Amino acid sequence: MTAGVIALVVIASCLFLGLISSLKRTLVTSGDPRNLVVMRKGSDNDGASQVPLAAHQALKYFDGIARDAEDRPLASPELVVQPFFRTKAGGRENVLVRGVEPVALEVHDAVRIADGRMFNPSAHEAIVGRGVAGRYAGAEIGSELEFGRGAWKVVGIFDAGGSSFESEVWVDVRELGNDAKRVFPYSGVRLRTTSPAAMDALVQRIGNDPRWALEAQPETDYYAKQSESANSLYVLVVGIAVLAGIGAGFGAANTMYAAVQARTAEIGTLRALGFSRRAILTAFQIEAVVLSAIGFLVGAGGAAILSQAVDAWLGGVAFGASTFTTNVVTLRVGAGDLVGALGLACLIGFCGGLGPAWRAARLRPIEALRKA
Amino acid sequence: MTYSRWIWANLWRNKLRTALTGGAVALAVALVCLLLTMPDGLNAILDSMANNTRISVHNKAGVVYPMPASFTRKVRQIDGVAAAMGQVWFGGAYEEAGKVTFPNFAVEVEHVGAVYPDWPITPEQLADFQRYRDGAIVGRQVMKRYGWKVGDRITLKSTVWPVNLDLRIVGEIASERAPLLWFNQEYLDQALKAQGRKGLGIVGMIWVRAGDPAKVNAIMRTVDEMSRNSDAETASETEKSFFSNFFGSLQGFVTIVLIVTGLVALCIVFIAANTASMGVRERAGEIAVLKAIGFGRRAIFATLLAEALLLAIVAGVAGVLMSLGATGMLRAAAGANPTLGPLGSFIITAPVVANGLFLSLVVGMLAGVVPAWGAARKSVVTALHEVF
Repeated sequence: MTAGVIALVVIASCLFLGLISSLKRTLVTSGDPRNLVVMRKGSDNDGASQVPLAAHQALKYFDGIARDAEDRPLASPELVVQPFFRTKAGGRENVLVRGVEPVALEVHDAVRIADGRMFNPSAHEAIVGRGVAGRYAGAEIGSELEFGRGAWKVVGIFDAGGSSFESEVWVDVRELGNDAKRVFPYSGVRLRTTSPAAMDALVQRIGNDPRWALEAQPETDYYAKQSESANSLYVLVVGIAVLAGIGAGFGAANTMYAAVQARTAEIGTLRALGFSRRAILTAFQIEAVVLSAIGFLVGAGGAAILSQAVDAWLGGVAFGASTFTTNVVTLRVGAGDLVGALGLACLIGFCGGLGPAWRAARLRPIEALRKA
Repeated sequence: MTYSRWIWANLWRNKLRTALTGGAVALAVALVCLLLTMPDGLNAILDSMANNTRISVHNKAGVVYPMPASFTRKVRQIDGVAAAMGQVWFGGAYEEAGKVTFPNFAVEVEHVGAVYPDWPITPEQLADFQRYRDGAIVGRQVMKRYGWKVGDRITLKSTVWPVNLDLRIVGEIASERAPLLWFNQEYLDQALKAQGRKGLGIVGMIWVRAGDPAKVNAIMRTVDEMSRNSDAETASETEKSFFSNFFGSLQGFVTIVLIVTGLVALCIVFIAANTASMGVRERAGEIAVLKAIGFGRRAIFATLLAEALLLAIVAGVAGVLMSLGATGMLRAAAGANPTLGPLGSFIITAPVVANGLFLSLVVGMLAGVVPAWGAARKSVVTALHEVF
């Protein structure tokens, strides 16, 4: 009984902890500490920014930008649009489509092609993030993905360590510009800097350049700002977990009390035989924790199955990012979440068991025997 | 001693257990109520916002793809269209360093009243909106959040256009359901031209009101046919369809929330059933004695069930009250941000309360019936045997 209650709590808390850590991964681990985001002054995200061609041409030869093996600057000009995608469930969502040049894979080195290949520029091809693949109609290798004004052939699926890039689709920057009929070729530029000192110098230099009203900020700051909007989700999820935990603690305490009451005679006998109060206290505490552990095992299994089911069924959990595009969170119950849930289960078992065990130990043997 | 006194006394024979059970049930009901506000709020908002004669016309490729401004005029000429209003996303940030905290649009002010006759805006305010070029009309929720009043002046810094606009608030949409700001699109157009740029020239979305609900489908077809093979092909849909698509991505989150709600509800049924059966087991002797002195099975069954129900309902009411208290706090904590959309409003509606109470009733029934049934059915002889 106690184990059953705890198992249910563990399932619920695993799902929630998994959701929290998946959200964190998506929001917080996006961006590279060595990278800068360059946007128009006053834009809050690259979807709302415009950068003229001339600015990119000049920017990429500024000092402090890292170079690749062939001595080309690691500056990735990018265009972001948010077209409609059709979900497999028949709904419609805005998805972030990023027009890039091949250098983007070097600037964002967390992004790796997991399956298939990189797109060929000017062949109307696209690569999709792991969160996009499987959620939208046509987002699989070899299919035609329809967005904007045309259809794009999907040739690869990329992985980005769970960060928000996985909710994006990447295509050739010029083709996207043509498709979206944008006046400005780029939304922003991402730069890989050589050192933190160079980074600060670049931020200063770009911000003070009078030719274009641009500003640069570290990529990690940019994504941290984006993730502030998910704070309310955290508050909510944590609040729910705490409430459910307290409720389960009550339940566990209740069942343990029942166990103590049912065994008053036994306890009396044990005390009469000379077992110390401490021994009885410990025995009951161990029992409570063992029950919790059993509940945890059952619950962890249940949570693993459930999270898989939710992912398969919904294609991940989506939430609207502040950019009005859909961020897809693949729900993974990781080891950390399991440890958290185990901790919670033990805590519930311990607290729930403490009161009854204390009462059991305090029973006077004579009374306990009389009750029997 | 009346039956009710007896039930009451029985409840309090084990204060601790009753308190624990009641606490668990109350917590769970509070939790379920809170969680239910999410899907419920979603539906409530969709129903209250949407009007069956309003149509959203936008580019087929997405809301960020514009349409030529001239298209609005073409739409107005379609048979059955009562009014049409073009709007452009301004993406203005108020004070909070470059963040858009509420949607704000540049709209065709002279058509607002005709497209939104069902929204609570006074005619005087609508007239002012057309009179002052820098006028803005704001939804009540936004007014409250920033402590604005009609007559205040505010500055919005656009995250999309290279302009900042000084606006004068000339009216309030007296509804919690419209957390947005509208201002005159000519003002934006002139601000752009003052910088030596082209004017606006585009429209992001056209809201159309049909004179007759029966003509809605025909209008949508006509609009989409008109734009066929142009640079900006449109997709028209009803207002409700537009918003449910807009918030559609939240469905996954809502599903998870509902799964957890189900689990929590299951938990408390377990706990309450457990407690009730414990209570009955303890009282086996007493029940046997009662039956021996002539109390009927029905009376025994009813009193035990009533006891469980009473506890569950009292706890349920406490839970609902708790959730009412918590929503205010949650609203403050969540703030109004675009992530949660309508999920962040946590408005406890009557159906949510009813659901919470219904849940506690069900818990009470389930928890009470089984042990009470068992106790009532036990033959007196065996029960007395067990006791003595």
